[in-house]
Amino acid sequence: MKWSLTHGFTMTHSVSSDTRGRPSFLAEQSNLIGLAAIIILFWILFTSLAPGFVSSFNLFALSRSLAVDVVIGFSTMVVLATGGMNLAIGSIGVCAVMASGYLMQTIGLPIPVAMALALLLGAFLGWLNGFVIVRSGVNSFIITLASASLFLGGMLILSKAQTFNALPPEIAAFGRMRWGFVSPLLFIALGIGAALIVLFRFTALGREILAAGANARAAELSGVPVGRAIIIAHTLSGALAASAGLMLVIRLGAAMPSIGQDWLLPSFLAPVLGGTLLAGGYVSVVGTILGAFLVTTIRSGLLVMQIGNFWLQLFLGLILLAAVMLDRYRSIYAERRSLGRKDAGRRSSGRRA
Amino acid sequence: MRLTIEGIGKDFPGVTALDEVSFEILPGETHALMGENGAGKSTLIKIITGLYRPDRGRLLVDGKPVDFTSPRDAIAAGISAVHQERNLIPRFTVGENIMIERPPTRNGVIDFDRVHAEARKFLDMIDPSIDTRTEVRHLSVAQMQIVEIAKALSLEAQVLLLDEPTASITGHEADALFAVVRRLRAEGKAIVFVSHKLEEVMAISDRVTVLRDGRIAAAGEPIAAMTRGKIVAAMIGREERVAEMGTRNVDGTKVVMEAKDLATSFGHRRVNFQLHKGEILGLYGLVGAGRTELARALIGDGKVVSGDLRLNGASVSIPDVPTAIRRHRLGYISEDRKAEGLILTHPIRSNVAITVWRKIASSLGLITRAGERRLVHPLVEKLEVKTPSIEQAVGKLSGGNQQKVSIAKWLAAGVEILIIDEPTVGIDIKTKTAIHELIGEITREGLSVLLISSDMPEMITLADRILVMRDFAIAGTLENSHRYEPMSRAIMDFIHAGDEASPVGEGVARA
Repeated sequence: MKWSLTHGFTMTHSVSSDTRGRPSFLAEQSNLIGLAAIIILFWILFTSLAPGFVSSFNLFALSRSLAVDVVIGFSTMVVLATGGMNLAIGSIGVCAVMASGYLMQTIGLPIPVAMALALLLGAFLGWLNGFVIVRSGVNSFIITLASASLFLGGMLILSKAQTFNALPPEIAAFGRMRWGFVSPLLFIALGIGAALIVLFRFTALGREILAAGANARAAELSGVPVGRAIIIAHTLSGALAASAGLMLVIRLGAAMPSIGQDWLLPSFLAPVLGGTLLAGGYVSVVGTILGAFLVTTIRSGLLVMQIGNFWLQLFLGLILLAAVMLDRYRSIYAERRSLGRKDAGRRSSGRRA
Repeated sequence: MRLTIEGIGKDFPGVTALDEVSFEILPGETHALMGENGAGKSTLIKIITGLYRPDRGRLLVDGKPVDFTSPRDAIAAGISAVHQERNLIPRFTVGENIMIERPPTRNGVIDFDRVHAEARKFLDMIDPSIDTRTEVRHLSVAQMQIVEIAKALSLEAQVLLLDEPTASITGHEADALFAVVRRLRAEGKAIVFVSHKLEEVMAISDRVTVLRDGRIAAAGEPIAAMTRGKIVAAMIGREERVAEMGTRNVDGTKVVMEAKDLATSFGHRRVNFQLHKGEILGLYGLVGAGRTELARALIGDGKVVSGDLRLNGASVSIPDVPTAIRRHRLGYISEDRKAEGLILTHPIRSNVAITVWRKIASSLGLITRAGERRLVHPLVEKLEVKTPSIEQAVGKLSGGNQQKVSIAKWLAAGVEILIIDEPTVGIDIKTKTAIHELIGEITREGLSVLLISSDMPEMITLADRILVMRDFAIAGTLENSHRYEPMSRAIMDFIHAGDEASPVGEGVARA
C-alpha cells in the first residue's frame, strides 16, 4: 500500500497504483484468477473421471461450442455495459440463421454475401431494439422480452419452421475444419473478443457506452450522446447474436429454427461469471471468455460422462447462483476495506479536502 | 431520558474512527453535533442508533448501560433517527408510512381507518396540515421530514437525531422545522441536531458538541458561551480563514452571454442578463425559484421557447448538451455531484477526459490511457486534487475533491462559460474556501462563471454581480459590495418584496 498512514497522501500516478484505484480492477483480477482455478479444477475432475474428455475428438467439439458460447456471452455483455439487457439474442440469432439458410439454399447467393446479409439483419434487429428502448424510455427488459417473441414469431411464420439442410457443402466442410485440436471458429470468437477490448478500452464510442451505463445522466450532462450509445450497443449485440447463429450453422451444416432457444442462460452466465456488472458501466472481455469456457467445460464434461441434459440445467443454474452470491460477498468485503481506507486517509492527513 | 456516551471508540481496519468520545444528551435540550466531514459524526450516529457496535466504551440510558445490536434495539430504547437518506416508502400514504412498524389490525387485516387515525394523532403534534392519505411521493422534502419525525414520535422516541435536516429545504421550511424542534424540546424530548450550518446551530441549539478527527473538541458546551469563531476553531483546530478573493479582472466591455427576454420550457419568462468575460455572475434565489432549470435550459437540457440567447454577440439556439459543450464551449456543474455530475465508479481519468474523448482520439480513432493521463494529470495537480492516483474511483474521493474533479473536467473541455450549481453543498468549511479560491482563479484565467448558490455568504464572497431569481423570473440585479450585512438585506428584499420594491442598503438596483 502506497497509502501511508504516516505521510498522508502521496501523489502517485504510476500505473502500478491502478490496482488500488479502481475497485473493479482488483475485483476483476481476483475474479479472473478464481474463475481460471475453477475451470482447471473441473478439467482435472473430468479428465480423471472420463479419459475421453481430453480426446482430440472431444477437444475439437469443445472448441466449436466454446466459440459459440463466447460470442453469445459477448452479445449480452455489450448490452450489460449500458446497464440494459437483451433477452432477444436467441431470437435475433435464429432470424439470422434462417435468413442465411434462405439466402444460400433458396436464393443461391454466394456464401459470403448471404452471411454478410444475415449479419446485417441481426444488426438491424438489434438497432430496432435500441431505437425503441431509447425512443420510448421503457426498460430494455420489457422491450427485448416483447421483441424476442416478435422476432421469433415472425421468423416461424416466414420460414414455416422448415430446416434448410441443403446448404452449400463448403459450410459443413468449414465446420469440420481443424487447426490443430481446435476449430477455426474459436479463433474468430477470440478475434471478436480482441476487437471488443479495443472498443471498450481505446475508443471514444466504447468509453461512451460504459459511461452511459454507469451513470446516464452524468454522461449526458458531460456531452455524451447517451441515446446513440445505447442504440449502438444494441445494434452490436444484434450483430454478435447473428454471428453466434452463423457459427452454429457452420457447425451443424444446416439452418435450423430451433437454434437460439437455449441461449438465454449461458448468455448471462458468461459475462456475469466474468465480472461484468449487471448494473452497467463495466465489462470484462477476458472474464466473459473464461465464463463461457467454464460453461462449455461443464456441458462437455457432463456429456462425456454421459450425464443427461437435465443435470446440465441444474448445474448451470447452481453456478449462476453461486457466482452472484460470491459477487455479493466480494462487494461487501470491498466496501468494508474501502471504508477503513477512506477513514485512514482522513485521519492521517489533516488537510484532506 | 438521559443518554450518556461514555468513552466510545470505534476502529475500522487500519484506522481509529472514534476515540474516547464522551458527552451527555439531556432531556429537553437541543444538542448540536458538529464536525467536518470525516470527523466521525456519522460513525457516532450509527453507534447511537444501533447500526454499529462500539469497540470501546458504552452507552447508558438513564444511567443504565445498554447494548444495541440493531437499530430496532435503539428504537425500543427510545432513540430514533431522521436520516438524510429518507426512509419513507414513496408509494405508501403518509399514514401507512408512519404506522408501518406496527399497523393496527382487525381480524388479521390492516385496519386502515385506524392507521390514519393513529397517524393523525402524531402528525397533529407537529404539523396538522399534512393529509395522512397523501402518498409520500407527492410531498416536499420538508414535509417528508415532518412525516419521519411523526413516525419517530409514534415509536415513542425520547431522543431524536436529525441528520442535516435543512440540507435540502428552503428557509421558510427550515423555520417551520425549527418551530417543531422547539415544541418537542418543550415536551422534554432530546433533539440531537447535526448540521454544517453555523447560523442554524447558533439559533436553535442549547448546547454543542464538536468532533474533530474522531475525538471530542468540545463536549456539550452551552451555546451561550460559544461564539461562531470558537465553534469553527474547535472544528478545524484553528481560526476561520476569511476569504480574500484577490483582485478580479472582469472585462466589462465584453459580453460573453446575453439573455434577452428569454422564456423556457420550464416556465421562465422575461429573463434578461449579461455575463461579461472573466465575471462571476451570481444567481441567487430560494429553492424552487427556477435557477437550476434556467441552467438546464441554457445548456440545451431544456428548451428556450422565446427570446434571444446570444453568445459572444451571436444569436444561438442550443438543441442539446453535446452542442453546448463542443460548439459553444458552455459547461454545467450540477448541484447533485453524485447523481448527475460524476460517474462515481469510474476513475478520475475517465471523469475528467469524458468531454474530450472524441477530441483526443488519434487519427485511427483510438484513445490511449497515456494520452488521457497527459491531459488529466496536469489538471489534477493544478487543482490539487488529493488522491493517490488518477485511477482512483471518483466515488472514493471526499466531496471537495469530487468537486475539483468536476471543475477539472470542464477545464479539460476548454469551456469559456461555466455554470456552477451549488459548488460547495455538503462540503466542509475548510475545503469550501479552497473551492472558492479555485473558482476565483479560473475566472482570472478568462473563464466566465454563472454561479448558482443558496449559500448567502458564498454568494457575497464570490459574485461580482448578483441576479436575484424568484418564481422563474429575474427579480433584480445587484452590484456586489462584498459586505455581508447590506448585501444580504438587499437580496432578501428582492426575494420577499417583489420587483417594485426598492432595495435597501448598498445594493444598487439595476433591474
